[in-house]
Amino acid sequence: MNSDNSTPASCGLEKVRSDLQWLLQTTEEAVAALVNSFGELAKETDSLLHLASAIVDCVEDECVRSVLPSVQALGVAAKQFVSERLKSTSGILNTVTAEAELLSQLSQVTESQASIALKIKILNVHTKIEVAHLGTVGVGFDYLARDLADFSRALTISTDELTNHTNRHRSANEMTQSVLSIELPHLREQLAAVEFSLMSALDVLDSGLTRLSKAPAQFKNSAEEITAQVTGVVVAVQGHDITRQQLEHVQEALEVISRKLDSNDASTTAPISEIACGHAGLSIQISQLKAIREAFTEWASQIQACVGGIFRISASELVGVGPLVLEQEQSMSAQLLNIDSIERECKSYGEKLRSTLDGISHLSELVKEHIQKSESARNRLRLLTFNSIVEASHLGAKADAICVIANGIAEVSVEWSKISERSGAALQEILSLSDRINGVMATFSQASDENLQKAQNKTTTGLKDLRSAASFAVMQGKRIETVTDGMWTRSKEIERASELLNSCFGRIDTVVNVLEKMKFDLEADHPGVKQRYDEAEIERLFSATYTTQAEREVLRSALNGTTFSVAQQYATGNDVELF
Amino acid sequence: MKRILTVDDSASVRQMVCFTLQKAGYEVAEAVDGKDGVDKVGIGKFDLIITDLNMPNMDGIQLITAVRKLPGYSFVPILMLTTESQAEKKDAGRKAGATGWIVKPFNADQLVAAVQKLVK
Repeated sequence: MNSDNSTPASCGLEKVRSDLQWLLQTTEEAVAALVNSFGELAKETDSLLHLASAIVDCVEDECVRSVLPSVQALGVAAKQFVSERLKSTSGILNTVTAEAELLSQLSQVTESQASIALKIKILNVHTKIEVAHLGTVGVGFDYLARDLADFSRALTISTDELTNHTNRHRSANEMTQSVLSIELPHLREQLAAVEFSLMSALDVLDSGLTRLSKAPAQFKNSAEEITAQVTGVVVAVQGHDITRQQLEHVQEALEVISRKLDSNDASTTAPISEIACGHAGLSIQISQLKAIREAFTEWASQIQACVGGIFRISASELVGVGPLVLEQEQSMSAQLLNIDSIERECKSYGEKLRSTLDGISHLSELVKEHIQKSESARNRLRLLTFNSIVEASHLGAKADAICVIANGIAEVSVEWSKISERSGAALQEILSLSDRINGVMATFSQASDENLQKAQNKTTTGLKDLRSAASFAVMQGKRIETVTDGMWTRSKEIERASELLNSCFGRIDTVVNVLEKMKFDLEADHPGVKQRYDEAEIERLFSATYTTQAEREVLRSALNGTTFSVAQQYATGNDVELF
Repeated sequence: MKRILTVDDSASVRQMVCFTLQKAGYEVAEAVDGKDGVDKVGIGKFDLIITDLNMPNMDGIQLITAVRKLPGYSFVPILMLTTESQAEKKDAGRKAGATGWIVKPFNADQLVAAVQKLVK
């Protein structure tokens, strides 16, 4: 139709068709841009999944999975190491306190021995005096006097030796006690702190590895979600082709309506049946446009939602796995160093204790030797007693004074026996103390350190693997960052295309308003026009070009005065029907 | 690598078919309408054809009829990918020699599964 014989209706419809043409072109351009960006985004998403998959493989590696059990074993070994040393150190303090008591007893013994040595010396002097009084008769007693002098000297030397050693050892014992009472609380605090920090580190590692253990499942979910979102976009983009066809059908229908509403001659009015047909056609096209608007909104929203879903995955925890592994490794390495330093400190502490406590074994040797000497001294004293009594009985009444000496020797012999028994008891206690100390010191031995050492070595190896995994994961993480940067660029492109599509949707609303106004005007100019059309004719006229079931449904709904919703038709897409 | 031809006057649909099938490991060529499709089939070897029904110059039914006459294409699977879902249209497609029918929008996973089954 040319402009010379066009009616207001045909002009309005021409304008609407022109608007729809603009809409088709603009959406075509927007969708083309969107599809290109989506293609790039899909490639980047594939790269992201590929990189994340490598991280997951790395996390799933046996070496990395064995780190937690090895660190747990280290924790147990370190805890045992710490508690054994605390217990042993307390035991040593008790032993050293008992030793102090024993040393005091030994001092008493040595004092008594010194007193006996003095008494024997006095007896020696008395014997010499009596031998001088007796003259040739007392020759036998001269031997006794010499024996007493020798014995007294030997006893004094042995007693002095034991006294000196006991005194020296007492000083060492006092020093050990002092060291232990200062060191023990410090050691206890230090070891408790190590235990606490080790347990905290284990908790951190445990929770970290628990998070890591979820990575494969997260990855699987993410991969499935991405597939679903990509499928959603593929379906939604096809929605554009469907709405494009429907818009073309509306354009064709508007041309038919225009013909119906126009007369060949602008001065005459079209027959009412034609106007009714045009009116019904307008109703149908308004419904079609509303359905198209709804479909437009749906597939465009689906594209945005699916692309948004893909971006959510790019920002998921999966991407953060690398730094997490690194954090675990760093935390555990620090703990390992801490354990190493405590182990060294415990070793040096053990050395200090060992050298301090070595003195007690020297003391026990000395007391043992002294007791042997005491045994022989006791026998010698008994012999002296016996000899002196025999010699005294030979002399008869002349030997009263000698008898007194002989009795003195007998008394000293009894006293000596008692002291020997006390020395023997002290020796037993010293030996028992020595055994206890050896037992306690075994805790600080090399063999005891081996368990911890083994656990440390195993953890060091495990951490080495974890470190490699962390480096790899971090490297992959950096690549993922580059990919996600690209994805964000794509996001902006898709956003721009979506904005363009949104402006197109607005144009549909304007077109619908124009058509509704036109329809309203027809109803005002031609009352009863709503009922004056042939339904079969209308369906034949407008549905001939339809290619979708939705268009046919909308047509029927428009003629029935009901509404038809096209919502959800782009959700999953259709299956293939094989013949 | 199996070769597939997608024939559709809609660029976005062609792109989606290409995207889906290339991702699944197929080589995909494009034709913008039935005539272009027949020309491409004439100069290349394809293991499967996916065609729209309503296209300018030559529609999908005409394309199938023409392709079936070409040597080596009697049994090559041809899938119709169209917005049409009417039984009479499907019947026309089947009679022309179509192997299967997909109503737009297609589901990517199901399209790949069908293609895998047909070109095996």
